[in-house]
Amino acid sequence: MAALKKRSITQSISGLLLLLIGVLIALPLVGAAEFSLRDGGRDKHSFKSYAWIFQQADFITNAVTTIEIAVVAVLVTFILMVPTVAWLHIYGKRYIKFVEVLTVLPLIIPVVALATGAALALPAWLQSTKYVLSMMYVVLAMPFTFRALDIGMRGVQLEILVAAGRNLGAPWRAVILKVITPVILPSIFAALFLTVALSLGEFTLAQLLHWTTFPTWVAVAAQGNILGATALSVGSLLTAWVLLFSFTFFDRKKTNHQEEE
Amino acid sequence: MSSNTLQLKGLSRRFGNVLALDDFHLSLGVGELVALLGPSGCGKTTALRIVAGLEKEDSGQVILGDRDITNVPAHQRNMGMVFQAYSLFPNLTVEENVAFGLQMRKVDKEKRLKKAHELLDLVGLDSQSKRYPHQLSGGQQQRVALARALAFQPDVLLLDEPLSALDAQVRTNLREEIRRLQLSLGTTTLFVTHDQEEAMAISDRVGVMSHGKLEQIASPDTLYNEPATAFVAGFVGTMNRVITQLKNGKVSIFGQAVSAKPSDVTEGEVIALIRPEKVSVKTSGAGANATVLTRSFLGASSQITCRTTDGSIIQALTGSHESGELHPGSQVMLEVTSDEVLISHV
Repeated sequence: MAALKKRSITQSISGLLLLLIGVLIALPLVGAAEFSLRDGGRDKHSFKSYAWIFQQADFITNAVTTIEIAVVAVLVTFILMVPTVAWLHIYGKRYIKFVEVLTVLPLIIPVVALATGAALALPAWLQSTKYVLSMMYVVLAMPFTFRALDIGMRGVQLEILVAAGRNLGAPWRAVILKVITPVILPSIFAALFLTVALSLGEFTLAQLLHWTTFPTWVAVAAQGNILGATALSVGSLLTAWVLLFSFTFFDRKKTNHQEEE
Repeated sequence: MSSNTLQLKGLSRRFGNVLALDDFHLSLGVGELVALLGPSGCGKTTALRIVAGLEKEDSGQVILGDRDITNVPAHQRNMGMVFQAYSLFPNLTVEENVAFGLQMRKVDKEKRLKKAHELLDLVGLDSQSKRYPHQLSGGQQQRVALARALAFQPDVLLLDEPLSALDAQVRTNLREEIRRLQLSLGTTTLFVTHDQEEAMAISDRVGVMSHGKLEQIASPDTLYNEPATAFVAGFVGTMNRVITQLKNGKVSIFGQAVSAKPSDVTEGEVIALIRPEKVSVKTSGAGANATVLTRSFLGASSQITCRTTDGSIIQALTGSHESGELHPGSQVMLEVTSDEVLISHV
């Protein structure tokens, strides 16, 4: 009885905390959404500011730029991170701790240092294209992408699965595409989504390296039309959320499908 | 069936300071099931992984039939392998798992699924073909793994302790099933295990390994009755160890003079090795005095543990009907019933 009571108390405390956090996150968002819908005064609401977005000549251009940067960042993350983390789990288990510490560095090193140091270390031809940002975003997202992949691979006996695949006649290419990738697909999606989210929202590095991306353009646009800028922020946030939820929904559905059969 | 002979010639492999394999030789005939038995770290798994191409040898050769496959990559070796556990692809159904090897060999879908069902039928799991691995029990998963390893008609079947993660009952059933399938398909098989009962039960020959070398390789009967070394004797079955004196080729055990099997020891203090079933326990007559400590009823036979007057503990195996009147505390006489005993250094 006492244990049950204790449990219900813990449950209500955690429920309360969740609610508090929810309110803390939701309040500014709801506020921003309400603000972006205002039309002239407190009482009048319309989609005027959202219509304004599409009237801006630079909107599409900058959105496309940022999407292109994000796509390249996602590709590089996939090509670089998935085999690396897989290799660590199959052959280099003793290096995992070291790499784990290494991947935190982008969080510790100030962005200014990354901009003036790391970006300059990239080949000159790359530095002169906007895709220099893609490379930097791969690095910036690494603390998150590494962990997403690492946790996914810890859950399965990757080493044995790879050995089984090789033994059954799969060359390395097939091992990566048919054995490793499908098994850790959810964590690959999570890693790639984190890269997308970071690429879509990153401001400081783009500004420091003098590239005009969607976030830097929003900052400029905000100076001319604060309602429009708020609408832009709310809009891009909603887009990201829709992406996130559709992904989790897709993943959940797939798992349920497997359970039922 | 494309079964083949397999030869390992002078394999050596070092991990840091540990010599996992030390000039290791082994040869398997067509359709033969050979078990490699030994304590953990004796190199048996390393040998198996080198055969599969999953591990690289420092020196030596692997020969399949008349072909040197030492430098052939793992995926081209055409060897089926069953791992300890968790080796099924979790994202594929049972039938897709079994068909995977054929898929890699570019066999068309209809044919490979047909073959998969054939194999699943052989292991009694055809009804589970649409399920996912996590919906199966451990024993069922290993059956699927066995079907998967055999589906593409491998030259050699490799078993890496496939039963060690299973319950005792399932383990016994599955090992019989492995043997039945192996015999009916005639697949040359290398079976690695640390469980001597398992190895003895289903193998044509058993190789006992220690420190990267084969101590002895022989049929289970020979291994049990004529162990070549004290290590083999101790590893296979139970052995009583009695410290005694060797003189003129004879040792004294329980007051009897018994011939010692020829060995490199010629005189002085030795250990005599005696199987429990070669010790007779009687309530009267000749022999050494001893006190019964425990009697374990095993069914047709019983295991009696005694302490002799000099303090050594002796195990004896007798027919249950002959030892019915023995209880802890009973005074008994021990005798050796074999004409010859194995001896080793102290």
